[in-house]
Amino acid sequence: MLFNSLAFLFAFLPITYLVFWRLTGRMPRYVWLTLSGYVFYSFWNYKFCSLMLFSTAGSYLAGLGFLRWQQPALRRLCMVLPIALDLALLGFFKYANFAARNINEISVWLGGRSTLPVLDIILPIGISFYTFHTITYVLDAYRGAITPTRNFFKYAAYVSLFSQLVAGPIVRFRQIAQDFENIDRADRTADSDKGWSFFVIGMVEKVLIADTIAAVIDPALAHYGQLSTVSAWLCAVGFAYQVYFDFAGYSDMAIGLGYLFGFRLPQNFNSPYKAVDIADLWRRWHISMSSFFRDYVYIPLGGSRMSGVLTARNLMFTMFLCGLWHGANWTYVVWGAYQGVALIVHRMVRGGWEQLPVWTRQVGTFAVWTLGLVIFRASGFGMAATLVEKMFTWQGGDEIVGSGALLVMLALSAAIAHWAPNTFEMHHQWSPKWVAGFAVVFGICLLVLYGSRPTPYIYFQF
Amino acid sequence: MPRLLAVVCLLDIGLRFTSIDPLSFRAWEAVSRSRPPGAAFEPNRQYRKDRTYGDAAAMGNIPELRQYRREVFTTDAFGFRNVGDMRARGVAAIMIGDSSAVGSGVSDDQTLPARLTALSGCGVYNAGAEDATPDPDRVSALSRKLGVHGGLVIHLYTEDRELPTVPSIRKRSVDQILALTPAWMSSVVAQIRGVVTVSPLRILSERALRALENGRILPNSYAVNVVKAAVNNGDTMLFPAAHVRNFYRKRAVAVNYWTWLQNDLRTEHQDLLVLLVPGKYSVYRPFLVDQPPVGDGMGDYLARVERELRAAGVPVLNLAPMFAAQAAARLARREYLYWLDDTHWNAQGIDLAAAAIHAAWPLAGSPCSSDHIVSDVDGRMRK
Repeated sequence: MLFNSLAFLFAFLPITYLVFWRLTGRMPRYVWLTLSGYVFYSFWNYKFCSLMLFSTAGSYLAGLGFLRWQQPALRRLCMVLPIALDLALLGFFKYANFAARNINEISVWLGGRSTLPVLDIILPIGISFYTFHTITYVLDAYRGAITPTRNFFKYAAYVSLFSQLVAGPIVRFRQIAQDFENIDRADRTADSDKGWSFFVIGMVEKVLIADTIAAVIDPALAHYGQLSTVSAWLCAVGFAYQVYFDFAGYSDMAIGLGYLFGFRLPQNFNSPYKAVDIADLWRRWHISMSSFFRDYVYIPLGGSRMSGVLTARNLMFTMFLCGLWHGANWTYVVWGAYQGVALIVHRMVRGGWEQLPVWTRQVGTFAVWTLGLVIFRASGFGMAATLVEKMFTWQGGDEIVGSGALLVMLALSAAIAHWAPNTFEMHHQWSPKWVAGFAVVFGICLLVLYGSRPTPYIYFQF
Repeated sequence: MPRLLAVVCLLDIGLRFTSIDPLSFRAWEAVSRSRPPGAAFEPNRQYRKDRTYGDAAAMGNIPELRQYRREVFTTDAFGFRNVGDMRARGVAAIMIGDSSAVGSGVSDDQTLPARLTALSGCGVYNAGAEDATPDPDRVSALSRKLGVHGGLVIHLYTEDRELPTVPSIRKRSVDQILALTPAWMSSVVAQIRGVVTVSPLRILSERALRALENGRILPNSYAVNVVKAAVNNGDTMLFPAAHVRNFYRKRAVAVNYWTWLQNDLRTEHQDLLVLLVPGKYSVYRPFLVDQPPVGDGMGDYLARVERELRAAGVPVLNLAPMFAAQAAARLARREYLYWLDDTHWNAQGIDLAAAAIHAAWPLAGSPCSSDHIVSDVDGRMRK
């Protein structure tokens, strides 16, 4: 089920919300949130609920193990086993075919005859997110950063919390443990306005901005070989804004929904297009994911406390994993490597870079990011190479249908992404005029949702 | 915002109780909105519109290629497209089939059953419906309601449709149970279904978005639904993309549905005639500019169906050869057998079909008797 679907807005959300606030006491609310999370998930495919339950049960039992045993070997076992299971699930559903195809190709290239079967596997939606929820829980419990819960439904409600279930943010248990603990004392009205404000802004970002840009550039990119240089640039920049507003919009909706149920989810996008260098951008972009890789991969590898070469190695490995996490495709891997190289180069030229005017650094960072997204968006290296070639050598070709609308959306997107405050910088206490304005744009969003099928979020595929 | 959600929700619910006639571009959607189970359309309805247009133009969101025309669509007490009480004039034959049998795109007096009735003087009942593969139970039940004993059942099968299959026992059982449902309950179910499944607010919103997705302000995302092709005389035709893909597909042929239908109808002393109607694309493809070539096993689908039916002893009339010849002959005069903007045939195509059936139909000129007919080896029928 999508947040931008009528079924969610007119059925799932009102029912979940009203029943949740009618219930009193922690346990009924934990159970209800768990139930609603599984119902939400089953709208996509109920068969995969068992997978989530399995992952939840494994990490929950590991948490009980941490509470019970203090011996290092047993604690290590409690850490390794559920994480290995989670990674095995992720590996099988997300990467098994990718691996099989590549092994087969390498084998043929070497003159061999490997014929590993390519299975008919459906990628369970959100598996990259809920497995990361359970992994962070186990690792934090192992490190003693959190006290594992004995209450299964409290933990199940955390993993299956519908607002963050299928596309994040990757909220760590410790970040909302307090809200879960106080769930019976939550005040429905305390953050209600703020929640709706986040939700509506997120909806506008997704439905009116990201989807409109997509409506223009997707058909153009379907015939990328015929694009002119100007059109190729418009598509590249358009996709940079589309992916930002798509996912930032989703995150804002998720955070808003969290507020409606008494949860304060952390910020996931902190105006990344205001970043002055690529490292700064990664501190602002998909914060819950980038901080996961920072805290659980980069820093354990030694982070930047090591020599320049080893730091570069750590960066490359972390960004390689980050790229691979986005999907089982070499374009994502290369995109991750590109980001790794960009981060290393930035470290090398940091001194000189910081002497440049702020706007130059912002433009330069955005350009490097946008170029990387060409690889990210491409269905293969051929498409990426063609687009880059078109962008950097003057070529005639087809103009984009709807380029007028695209230019308007790009101007609006640029104004919001580069200059406007982000949702966490807003006070969310709106005057009646603003409320009326929000009502109008929200009404337009609803009409768009009525008149078209809801468009899935880009990050759902990860 | 919750209030706004509530208001929109209430508005949606409220509008669902209003008529969608002003919002629909043709009769089909309007009159099938609250159809009772077992009926094709809402009973005793009349839909009139002076500016209806074709489904392909609607599917592809191409207003500039619309062919506006007048449509009057009337249904009888049983929920089928017939004017007045057909029982009064006597029914000699029942026509079953899809929207081409119903006469989508033409007015009441131009449908194939209406034209056949006019030509032969024998009442031909229009029992066409969305479900183009009705089982004999339904036909028999309808025959009883119409007071028909024996007679002819014409099954119009359009090339673009999938091959009909024998319904499962479960489906037949469900249909039988539905047939026992009291009329008042069917009516209530129909009303509820209409209210639940059709949202005028959705139609309005979609219209507004379609206006923006006109290929200038925003790309037309609906354009992929149709194939726009130039005829060699300079005109432009629209075809549903699925039908064009269908044409280039190697399609398996099996006629067990018709043999089963024929056997079952015989127990009610009814004869079956299968009328094979070519798809618009297969008729006009030879006259279109820049079309893909036809590979082995493609493009002869109806001929193979005809052969199989004849071999199985099922009377059949294949309109494809005659339509191909007539389409070629009329092209220079810019006359067509199908609407340019629609999947369906127009009045000219229907008249041709009616004449062909009339010529081959042994009831013609007789007092609408119900003697058995059989198919000759050459495809003609005799009593």
